[in-house]
Amino acid sequence: MSAGEHIAFRGRDERDLDTEVDYVVVGSGAGGATAAVTLARGGARVALVEAGAWRDPEDYPSSAYGGMRDLMEDWSAQVTRGRALWPVVQARTMGGTTVVNSAICVRTPDDIFEQWSREHGIDGLRTRVHAAQDRVEREITVEEVPVAARGRSNSLAKKAADDLGWSDSHYMRRYAKGCEGSGQCLQGCRTSKKQSMNLNYIPETRAKGGLIVSSAPVDRVLSEGTRAVGVTGRFVHPTTRAEGTRFRIRARKGVVVAASVTHSPVLLMRSGVRSPALGKFFRSHPGTGIFGCYDDNIDQNVGATQGWASIAFRKNPGLKLETLAIPPELVASRFAGGGTQLMRRLTEYRHVAMWCLAVRAETTGTISQSLFGSRPVVHYELNAPDMERFRQGMKLLAQQHFAAGAKAIIPGISGMPYKLTRDDVGLLDDAPTDPRRYVAILSHLFGGCIMGKDPQTSVVDSRGRVHGWERLTVADASVIPTNLGVNPQHTIMGLAMTFAEDLLGG
Amino acid sequence: MLVRSAIVLLYPRTDVLPGAEDCDLDAFLERFQRETTLLIWSGVVAGALLFQISPIFTVHVPLPASLLPPHLADRHADRISNSSIYLVRQAIFLVKLAAGLAWGADPVVRARFALPPMPPDPGTWRTE
Repeated sequence: MSAGEHIAFRGRDERDLDTEVDYVVVGSGAGGATAAVTLARGGARVALVEAGAWRDPEDYPSSAYGGMRDLMEDWSAQVTRGRALWPVVQARTMGGTTVVNSAICVRTPDDIFEQWSREHGIDGLRTRVHAAQDRVEREITVEEVPVAARGRSNSLAKKAADDLGWSDSHYMRRYAKGCEGSGQCLQGCRTSKKQSMNLNYIPETRAKGGLIVSSAPVDRVLSEGTRAVGVTGRFVHPTTRAEGTRFRIRARKGVVVAASVTHSPVLLMRSGVRSPALGKFFRSHPGTGIFGCYDDNIDQNVGATQGWASIAFRKNPGLKLETLAIPPELVASRFAGGGTQLMRRLTEYRHVAMWCLAVRAETTGTISQSLFGSRPVVHYELNAPDMERFRQGMKLLAQQHFAAGAKAIIPGISGMPYKLTRDDVGLLDDAPTDPRRYVAILSHLFGGCIMGKDPQTSVVDSRGRVHGWERLTVADASVIPTNLGVNPQHTIMGLAMTFAEDLLGG
Repeated sequence: MLVRSAIVLLYPRTDVLPGAEDCDLDAFLERFQRETTLLIWSGVVAGALLFQISPIFTVHVPLPASLLPPHLADRHADRISNSSIYLVRQAIFLVKLAAGLAWGADPVVRARFALPPMPPDPGTWRTE
């Protein structure tokens, strides 16, 4: 098969793009890229359509400003609607969020498949998803954070967790080849060590004859009755956001939607899919961080951005703990206060380590379309038990920091003292459970087009096929009906590969 | 001017660290206004406006923040950033975030934190 083509932005003065392939895949993140390469390997002619631009490592920004401008959806401005305005973090670039995440690889836990079977009637996925995950690990390389790339923050966290006797404390396994610890995961790895989808599965899809279309947000899925027959949209310039010419890509065999947890449900809504479950059962792992203050230099930006994790508390109380390094640009706003008080606090930058919690939240929210325009709107507000988990996570992180030798912690909770020492850390027992008092983000998103047996309570079946439709499949985190309690990329890829294999097999 | 003034008071120059005004702030704001979304820029302007008009509530002086004596302006910057009203805190947070993007990327600031200067963001993408 001859090598395929990449079509980037086309201005209004250029001709429309009108073509036909076997399968159109919407979205190039972990789900879309994996589905596309699987279909291409099976001999199908695939078009992979991405809303963002295609940036290679030499195009990646160095600064947080550049990261927000070039790689993130709307400068990371999307926030939850609820009492608290928590950012919903998603990328908009070829490779999707795999370009800006920390490439953390965790196999789908067995208990998740049991839960899916029990609560949603989904059976038969475990063996196939795990086999797909084995294949992904072999193909794009997964390694434990190398010793030389661990940095002081990750190493301290590991030692403290071990000293505390936590049952699971490990250096992360990540999709990376020879990580150098440049601390640039969040802006895209300019050293090409992180194995984001734009470095492997997308070029392979193209090499196998695929058509890659970038800067091309899809407006809607084209249909004949309830049969998906293609997609259409209009190019958008990567920097000016000016609209370009239209594109229309017809699909002889099917359309695979993998546009993200927020965009996939909204795209299906715009395309005429009517399901009582569409946009429902949105879930996440909301997270926040605690800084530990140390006598010695920590230099959190030296070493892997995220290198240590523990799932010792995944089931009870429902938490994942991990390290995260953020650059001075973001720490500056994360420290409380302003004026000379803020500047005094910033002098401590080299001495702080940020460790994070992600809550395996039970709360569900919704995704809907904005009244004006087609932007997704996320309604989500953590319930009281989840906020209690938040508080428990803060206490565990405080305990860990003190075990590592911190002199104080910075909890970052509005209304509480800026710093807490070991003696007054008990104040966290009474920390507020009002989400507005915390600086938090939603980084792992699930649901909106969930899998299930019953069309009344789910959008797709256990093969990702939209109930009541032909040739329309969803293959991203929006199909995941529960939260996982672990980082979702590996599960997304395992499901996408499985669904794509099903498409090839008829 | 409104945004610049708020940022300078939120990130003042100290003996140890450069302030926002030492970080090519005007060029940054010009670029930021041009490149960011209307929604974000509007939020930053709204936050800066709030910062300017709120000293009556923080230091009990009926003057805009930029006309306050330095010690009161500094106290205002800290108090408004820690406001107990969530939306006020969020509005100021947005100004702090925007300012932090300029301040934290400055080579002098990074050098103080033992970090190398960053190469310019290429702003490029694959066109073929």
